[in-house]
Amino acid sequence: MEEVINVVKFGIEFVPREPYWKIIYYAIQAERRGFDYLWITDHFNNRNVYVTLAATAIYTNKITFGPGVTNPYLVNSVVTAQAVATLNEIAPGRVVLGIGAGDKTTLDCVGVEMQKPLTAVQESIEIVRRMMSGESVVFKGDVFTMAGAKFLFKPRGKIPVYVGAQGPKMLELAGKIGDGVLINACHPKDVDYAVECVKKGVSEACKKLTDVDIAAYTSFSVHEDLKKATKAAVPVVSYIVAGSPSIVLERHGIDLKKAEEIREALKASEWGRAFGLVSPEMIEAFSVCGTPDVCIERINQLLKSGISQFVVGSPIGPSVRKAIDLIGEKIIPHF
Amino acid sequence: MDMTYHKVVETVPVEKREAISDKLIDLVLTSKNDEKMPASLANTLLYHWQRNLLASDSGLATLLEAAVLLEPDKTVEVLEQEFQLVSTVKAVREVFMKAEK
Repeated sequence: MEEVINVVKFGIEFVPREPYWKIIYYAIQAERRGFDYLWITDHFNNRNVYVTLAATAIYTNKITFGPGVTNPYLVNSVVTAQAVATLNEIAPGRVVLGIGAGDKTTLDCVGVEMQKPLTAVQESIEIVRRMMSGESVVFKGDVFTMAGAKFLFKPRGKIPVYVGAQGPKMLELAGKIGDGVLINACHPKDVDYAVECVKKGVSEACKKLTDVDIAAYTSFSVHEDLKKATKAAVPVVSYIVAGSPSIVLERHGIDLKKAEEIREALKASEWGRAFGLVSPEMIEAFSVCGTPDVCIERINQLLKSGISQFVVGSPIGPSVRKAIDLIGEKIIPHF
Repeated sequence: MDMTYHKVVETVPVEKREAISDKLIDLVLTSKNDEKMPASLANTLLYHWQRNLLASDSGLATLLEAAVLLEPDKTVEVLEQEFQLVSTVKAVREVFMKAEK
């Protein structure tokens, strides 16, 4: 196994579809097992991200955490700034903000249009940063307007902002204005491409690449038994395949017809059929999955692509608790 | 927390507590009966976990209470078949029946 000399930070993602006490149990465990970052997803149909993060802040001591990711359409930027500023009072220096354009399906549910996503994210980040600096924000953007928004308290510290990005322009923007970028990708082919885009933005802003924490936000599943690890990854991969644009599927040589069949099966709630259509190539492309050794090898490949943070996302493993232990015992110490 | 579970814990041999705590937390975390977990019990559970005390007397009592609430049959099965704790199962059943009255 080829060694890569690099310092990688480990992050973990939780979805607050689970009750708060399970998430906090895992958060405490993850902190103990050496994870550096904890990301909680933000969707209106799950439990609230900031309430979950506030509880996490109280039960943990050193792990850095934040929404991964929120969006400026459903949550006004001043409310986002207010939430992270308050969190930063509970856990000073441990808060980060992940922000992206959101997902269209969720926004469609509540009748919110994803208007000018690049501009919206850019403007939102500017508003959050200015609010955090204590400024009275007067802002007339293409998407958002502020007419003297100011906190009645003094926000403390600086919150690093991570941009959730997938498309080339959003990745470039992340490189340009972000303190970090959360790339939804698992395979070196996708991450190589993403990092090149981030580099463009970094160079445009006359920054160094090391100024930006490049995180691969992966669908991850680990178990000592490869079959068990793979089985746990299949449902998540089926959804990723169904949601991926043709250009991404083609990059991995995935049959577009088969992807369409998965999409139809999921739409019809025919889970067995959808999961049965997931091929080993799809699992390889859209997850980091296997025994600890296999996962280490995959992480090493992503390090070569230039990532500085590896985020372990759903499903994490057939048993989340055992997977966190396994990652803490066998994967993190390797780096 | 239901203090009667402290009595149940007294029937658990000290050398088995770590392993039992490990099994019970798995039952609780993988249970689909989340809605049965009272917030006060969940908070007590987290209090003990934060301090690494889930195998202590009070930690194990909390875990037992949570496991019995969420997964009564599986809890009895674990205690009886994996750990051969006949007296613990008897004590759990007594607490359970008392609570049902």
